[in-house]
Amino acid sequence: MSFMPNCQDVTKHSSDYLDRSLSRWKRLGMWFHMMMCVDCRRYVSQLQLTIATLKKHPKANPPPVSNEQVDNVVKHVCQNLKPDD
Amino acid sequence: MPAAIPATRRPELSKPPLPADAELIPKLLAGDETAYAQVVRAYHGLMIHLARAIVGEAFADEVAQEAWVAVLRALPRFERRSSLKTWILRIVSNTAKSRLRHESRSVSLDDTMSEQPIVDPARFKSNAHWASPPAMWHADTPDALLASSQLRSCIDAALRALPPMQRAVVSLRDMQGMDMETICKVLEVSESNGRVLLHRARSRIQQAIEEHETR
Repeated sequence: MSFMPNCQDVTKHSSDYLDRSLSRWKRLGMWFHMMMCVDCRRYVSQLQLTIATLKKHPKANPPPVSNEQVDNVVKHVCQNLKPDD
Repeated sequence: MPAAIPATRRPELSKPPLPADAELIPKLLAGDETAYAQVVRAYHGLMIHLARAIVGEAFADEVAQEAWVAVLRALPRFERRSSLKTWILRIVSNTAKSRLRHESRSVSLDDTMSEQPIVDPARFKSNAHWASPPAMWHADTPDALLASSQLRSCIDAALRALPPMQRAVVSLRDMQGMDMETICKVLEVSESNGRVLLHRARSRIQQAIEEHETR
């Protein structure tokens, strides 16, 4: 990727841009491109919204482990571990 | 390792904070039943979440239980080069991967090398700028997106359709908030492969939302 990325480059590096794992130079290039390109700004903000939605997805917060589940695990371990393990 | 760990009743709501690894590991090695229960309570949910991501709903509970047996067997040899949590999750990941290979021999776990482009190349002009740019979405907040049960189903279906390693990375990173370094250790992938897996997974979910939002 040269200093100023094209739109296809932006789609390839957008996760790294949002996670701040690009070099400062590449990050600056992405930022400049997005200043000028409304389509890429939209693409990256939609990716950001996708990530935020996954964070809030009901399955991201599984219910706490119940006593029954703890007991099941303990029972399973007891059945499968030999005394000399 | 203790010969048996009696399953005693514990109050449902009591959840004392998990002691530090340095305090916890000797207790586990000594067969401290309270310490076992604390560790199971702290990590079992996350273990099921990870197992589900790799091997699917049907085998997740079984894989997590198998992993506990492997954890307790291997604990005396744990070298403490990572945290106990990372080490346990790596055992879950390996147990789930073995199970997946066993259940579906054709499944390839190494989906980082896929040459498939993130966005359909037909959406770009020959100069690599947009020919068919992304359209506005109706909803513009996570709550608004998740309010639609139809869209929630689309997201769930897109998550289920992801290759197992992509699903595992995105689940741990974006749904569980784990850092990439730990995720890569848990899944035994390089940092660059981990980033490729994450971006591919996020892009596929984004695509699913886009298809729904621009209908």
